[in-house]
Amino acid sequence: MENTGALSIRNAGKIYDPEGIHVVAVDDVSLEIEAGEFFVLVGPSGCGKTTLLNVIAGFDQLTSGAINMDGTPLASPGKRLRPGPDRTVVFQQGALFPWKSVLWNITCGPVKQGRISVEAAKKQAREFLARVGLHGIEDQYPEALSGGQKRRVEIIRALMNDPTILLLDEPFRALDALTKSVVQEHLLELYDFSPKTVFFITHDLEEAIFLGDRVAIMTTRPGSIKKVVRVDIPRPRDHRILTSSRFLKLKAELGEAIHDEAQKAFEAGERELA
Amino acid sequence: MTDQSVIITKSGERRSAQPMRQLTSSNRFIRWLKSLWGLNLLLGTISIGTILLFWEFAATLGIPGLKDVPPPSAVIAAANDLLVSPQYWNGWLLSFERIGIGFLLAQLVGIPLGLAMAMSRPTFGTIFPIIELLRPIPPVAWIPISIVFWPTREQSVIFIVFLGAFWIVLLNTIGGASNIDRVYKRAALSLGSQPRDLFWKIILPATIPSIVTGMAVGMGISWEMVVASEMIAGDTGLGYLLWQSFQIGAIAHVIVCMISIGIAGYLSSALIRAIGGFATPWLRLH
Amino acid sequence: MEAGRSTAMQSGGRSRVQYGVRLKRLVKSPRLYQAVFGIGLFFILWYLFVDFFGIWRFAKLPKLVESVKEWLSTDPVFGVSLFTAEYYKHIWASLVRVFSAFAIATVLGITIGILMGWRRIFFALTFPILETLRPIPILAWIPLAIILLPGRELPIIGLTFLAAFFVTILNTLLGVRAIDKVYFRAAESLGMSQWQQLWHVIVPGALPYIFVGLQIAMGACWFSLVAAEILSGSAGLGYKVWETYYYVQYPTMVITMATLGFFGYVSSAIVRITGNRLMRWRSEMLAGV
Repeated sequence: MENTGALSIRNAGKIYDPEGIHVVAVDDVSLEIEAGEFFVLVGPSGCGKTTLLNVIAGFDQLTSGAINMDGTPLASPGKRLRPGPDRTVVFQQGALFPWKSVLWNITCGPVKQGRISVEAAKKQAREFLARVGLHGIEDQYPEALSGGQKRRVEIIRALMNDPTILLLDEPFRALDALTKSVVQEHLLELYDFSPKTVFFITHDLEEAIFLGDRVAIMTTRPGSIKKVVRVDIPRPRDHRILTSSRFLKLKAELGEAIHDEAQKAFEAGERELA
Repeated sequence: MTDQSVIITKSGERRSAQPMRQLTSSNRFIRWLKSLWGLNLLLGTISIGTILLFWEFAATLGIPGLKDVPPPSAVIAAANDLLVSPQYWNGWLLSFERIGIGFLLAQLVGIPLGLAMAMSRPTFGTIFPIIELLRPIPPVAWIPISIVFWPTREQSVIFIVFLGAFWIVLLNTIGGASNIDRVYKRAALSLGSQPRDLFWKIILPATIPSIVTGMAVGMGISWEMVVASEMIAGDTGLGYLLWQSFQIGAIAHVIVCMISIGIAGYLSSALIRAIGGFATPWLRLH
Repeated sequence: MEAGRSTAMQSGGRSRVQYGVRLKRLVKSPRLYQAVFGIGLFFILWYLFVDFFGIWRFAKLPKLVESVKEWLSTDPVFGVSLFTAEYYKHIWASLVRVFSAFAIATVLGITIGILMGWRRIFFALTFPILETLRPIPILAWIPLAIILLPGRELPIIGLTFLAAFFVTILNTLLGVRAIDKVYFRAAESLGMSQWQQLWHVIVPGALPYIFVGLQIAMGACWFSLVAAEILSGSAGLGYKVWETYYYVQYPTMVITMATLGFFGYVSSAIVRITGNRLMRWRSEMLAGV
């Protein structure tokens, strides 16, 4: 399968200057993400993780440092590679086009780029949908779907583009805990079925450890990397590992660190930036 | 399409990435120009300036239609004329007066009625249908009846202004008051507020933004109505002046009146918006 | 196995069963009777104040019974009723003007509005002109319209067009601006070109606001039409209203006003219903949650 998508983030920094207030969103972040790995970045709200994702996706620019993907420059101060299907994003608040059917949403990427015929795209879409237990919803409008269904559809939409890196911006934030655990398992299924490099950000530590190969903890604003830990739980994983001893050990190891940051963020009254 | 980014096909082959966007120019003027403000100002000046130029020389250029319209220079001359005439300023006064009274009446009747309709289903169910029946009739079509009914011209003009603004303020008030999130009312009740408090502290403030919107739109409509009434059935005021000037062929004066009414309308809308801003400080956070 | 919510709603209309249910509910609810009461009260008051008692100035107003009789008579006193050609001649004249003006305003207005929302440079060039001209009341343009446009019909249509034009541009622009930026990001991220974004994000995304604008524009059309017809017309409902005043034909005045109201309402309803059909996805949003 694909073996590209190694992301090299070196001393990335982002400073905002809204209305003359100097805000350091991201402060000297360095990460090396291996090709094909599922990398999770955890941190409290407003710590700058979304900013970092936006920079990788191409929606924003760095003010210092550099990001390379497979050796090609992706972002550096004043320069950015335009957003594209090589780095598709699954957005936090959901960005399925409400005025198009589910099937159109899913197939629009490759079809509009002219990479694949409509028929072939539909076939592939149905395969994906079947994998996550969604049958017969293709002709419905997104608003008719439940939250969990929408998230799955959006993830499939991203995957259909065969991206080098799949970027997910707290995609399950709005789901209730029960739906969340089901959808997480579906995500892992999709990941096993069609492995890619994944860059996933969240504020939920359990989710991070459950999903990731490696987990990095980001400090509160100005965001930098506090700790990076490898999750040595074998795949395929399901919800039963949530009570395994390895999982609980990792949770304990990272828990204090993240709780610290959450406390600091709370005291500073942090709000999301981007 | 030059905007396509890198495409990587399944076989791993990549098509070349398009060039990156560079932050250029250390030249401050060019950077200001490129900033939103600078660009808007420049292009705006260019477009308006071009039009004024074409208009001024329409006669020599032989632009059909436009050449029969007095050029900007003639308009300025006419403006000088009018700005010293008492009839002109009297027109301002009278038109504003009619707007003021008609508009105010519309608010005084429309807001309480709208609130009542929003708060009481039976009231809404009884009154709304007849409103919907009468509303589609353009207020201007009411002018003859208005003239017949009201003893003075002044009153008939004010009635039309009232009518125009009334529909708007009513609908906006009902809309605003009906759409208050139930959560706020429940929070208030569970905190122990009485129905009376509920009205003054929750329903009314929450409806104010819609009322203000209704006022702003209503003000625009009011000006249309005043001008229409004055042109059709008045004998004083800016609208009447405009029509008069047209009747005697003083087109440059007509244009001056057009501009004057436009300015007057703009000022009144700005005033309403400013008042609205004061009344809703919580909406001014960002 | 999940199949999402009611697929009956997806079929784009309502099943006959649902209509039957709605009708029954309507008859049982107090709303129908309140409506009848409210409207009935209006006509009763009209009859009492004007026809029966003739109190104060109300005596001068057109009488209800007389007006209705005139409207329904085969040989009306003043020559206009449901059964006369004269009636339909005026209706047709007005409808043609409104329809043509509205159609042109819609096409031009939406195009320009979208361009303004899409391309910053276009916006910077056109917005100042728009904002300068917009505060001028539509009727104030009548003299210029008469000068610039030849004939009698064109100035009236031109004025009606102008009213709808400004409103449509503004609402279209607002509609484009109101589209959540995330949809643009998603489209970019999915590799859509600018043109594809225009057709698949901007146009559908702005549609709700556009249709609100079109309804307002329709109202504006009728308003300016009536005024323009009064000031310079020779046929049409607006002109007729004034004529009936001039010749003291009050029952006909009522008929004309009511006809205006009727067509105004119907035309707005047509716009609204067209919008609802084009934006089927919204029925889910509004009905659900």
